[in-house]
Amino acid sequence: MIGSRSKSIVLWTLVTIALVTLSAPTIVVLGASFTDGNIITFPPDGLSLRWYARISQASDLRNAFMRTLQVATVCTIVAIPVGTLAGIALAKYAVRFEKTIQIYLLLPFTIPLIGSGIGLMLIFGNAGILGQLWPVGIACCVINLPFMIWAVTASATGLDPDLELAAANCGAPPLQVFFSVTLPAVMPGVITGSLLMFILALNEFLVSLLLVDARIVTLPVLIYNSIRSIITPDLAAISVVFIACSAVAVFLLDRLVGLDIFLKSK
Amino acid sequence: MRAARTAYPLTWRIMDALEGVAAAIWPARFRRATPYLMLLPAVLLVGLLVLGLIQIADASLRTLDTTTFQFSDDYSIANFRRALTEPLFLVVAQRSLVAALIVTAVTLVFAFPYAYLMVRTRSPGLRKFLLIALFLPFFIGQVVRAYGWLIILGNQGMVNEALGLVGVAPMRLIYNYPAVLFGLVQYMLPFAVLMLAPALTAIPEELEAAAGSLGANWVRTFIHVVLPLARPGFVGAGVVVLTLSLTDFAVPAILGGGSQDFIANAIYDQFFRTSDQGLGAMLALMLVALGSILVGLVFALFGAGTLAMGRSRT
Repeated sequence: MIGSRSKSIVLWTLVTIALVTLSAPTIVVLGASFTDGNIITFPPDGLSLRWYARISQASDLRNAFMRTLQVATVCTIVAIPVGTLAGIALAKYAVRFEKTIQIYLLLPFTIPLIGSGIGLMLIFGNAGILGQLWPVGIACCVINLPFMIWAVTASATGLDPDLELAAANCGAPPLQVFFSVTLPAVMPGVITGSLLMFILALNEFLVSLLLVDARIVTLPVLIYNSIRSIITPDLAAISVVFIACSAVAVFLLDRLVGLDIFLKSK
Repeated sequence: MRAARTAYPLTWRIMDALEGVAAAIWPARFRRATPYLMLLPAVLLVGLLVLGLIQIADASLRTLDTTTFQFSDDYSIANFRRALTEPLFLVVAQRSLVAALIVTAVTLVFAFPYAYLMVRTRSPGLRKFLLIALFLPFFIGQVVRAYGWLIILGNQGMVNEALGLVGVAPMRLIYNYPAVLFGLVQYMLPFAVLMLAPALTAIPEELEAAAGSLGANWVRTFIHVVLPLARPGFVGAGVVVLTLSLTDFAVPAILGGGSQDFIANAIYDQFFRTSDQGLGAMLALMLVALGSILVGLVFALFGAGTLAMGRSRT
């Protein structure tokens, strides 16, 4: 970071604007949730936890949150084996049609979410499973799967193939090689990937909106529906649930693998 | 003999049994096919999307009979013609495309210095702070973030109250095009920074020092050294931001308040308001095509950038 004064002025100006833009909604939602008034003002008129007390009483919110957790759990449980195996296969082996498979596996990112969501809605509708929660989890898993594969390939490329050969040479059968050499080596990638999958599924909005009905509404959809009518502080208090989950995810990511992992050049 | 067998730890015996099962259903001579077996679940899961696209394509060719509310059994391209000729869709498509281009440009302008500072700073504390400030909103989700903007920019929002204190009449800061653009830039910043940062890490700092010692000032160093070398990052970030903002739903819906619909909102309305599934499916198909053409164009021009997965990276 050696540089002229004008360089740091320009850099810091742009970065400060970016920082303010990034953080403003989070800070404002946090502040608004502690208000004592009936409408949202900032700074709040007096501090209170009454809106938190209110939302902890509301069973529709609690149920919606539980459903969202269920969706995220299904998504992560499916994504871990599927993404780990695919990531290791892509990173370690010279597979035929590698480019084609890569492009195919990037489809969830290249197909717009509205397209994926409506496609899945039509399929699940035909299969008669619309209106249940687990298909929503599967849908969240499909649309974010490249994140999981990515995280695993990134850590699998650092694995020396000689280690696996050495283990096999010492008499380890294939599964044992996989569980005691390959898997521990890609563990940072698996952890990163599954945290990403969980938190993204927790926040997934559009695909949920298309796949849920009034009986199994998830929390982001519920918040969206309530925004439309009237803005009250209880909405801010529920939103804080997401902020808290995000903070926990960031903390875990930093503790378990280190956030710096995202700065590494591939 | 029996005593000796049970002397083995339970985990060993379980592993042996599993190895036996694995060897029985997947003998060593299938070894060459193992990577394909490992890829199979992912391929099947993503196959759901392909099936979905086929369903959409099928629905897009059926027209709605407005008297019976039944879909035609035979295929026609009537929906395609309607999608191209109805002025509403042209307005919406143009609005989304222009927005995507503006948002991409603005986001990259702000994401680059952020990523640069984060990668180059000598202070681990600052780096961590910038990373946390990036990930926290990234993990919060669009709906909550858009809600935060409503509190700030709304008609009785913070900005308007602050303006009221100095005697300025309240202004309408949301439910317009700039508000949607602003919300999208905020949503896209973390994506762009995370795609740019690895590309910047790959540029040796010595190169910048060398350019400096040869007499280039920092602006020329950026233009001739850093920006060209960061191209894979810009390609990755550009593609992600372009396609995500072109196809976004939540930000136009919440910050646009129904008056600033993007393509995704128009598709949603066809399915859930007008109930013309055929036309909605046709629009969705055209959006998929538009997105793929844009991505393909960028990849053909600049390579896959930081989006490549697996062993061969550019």
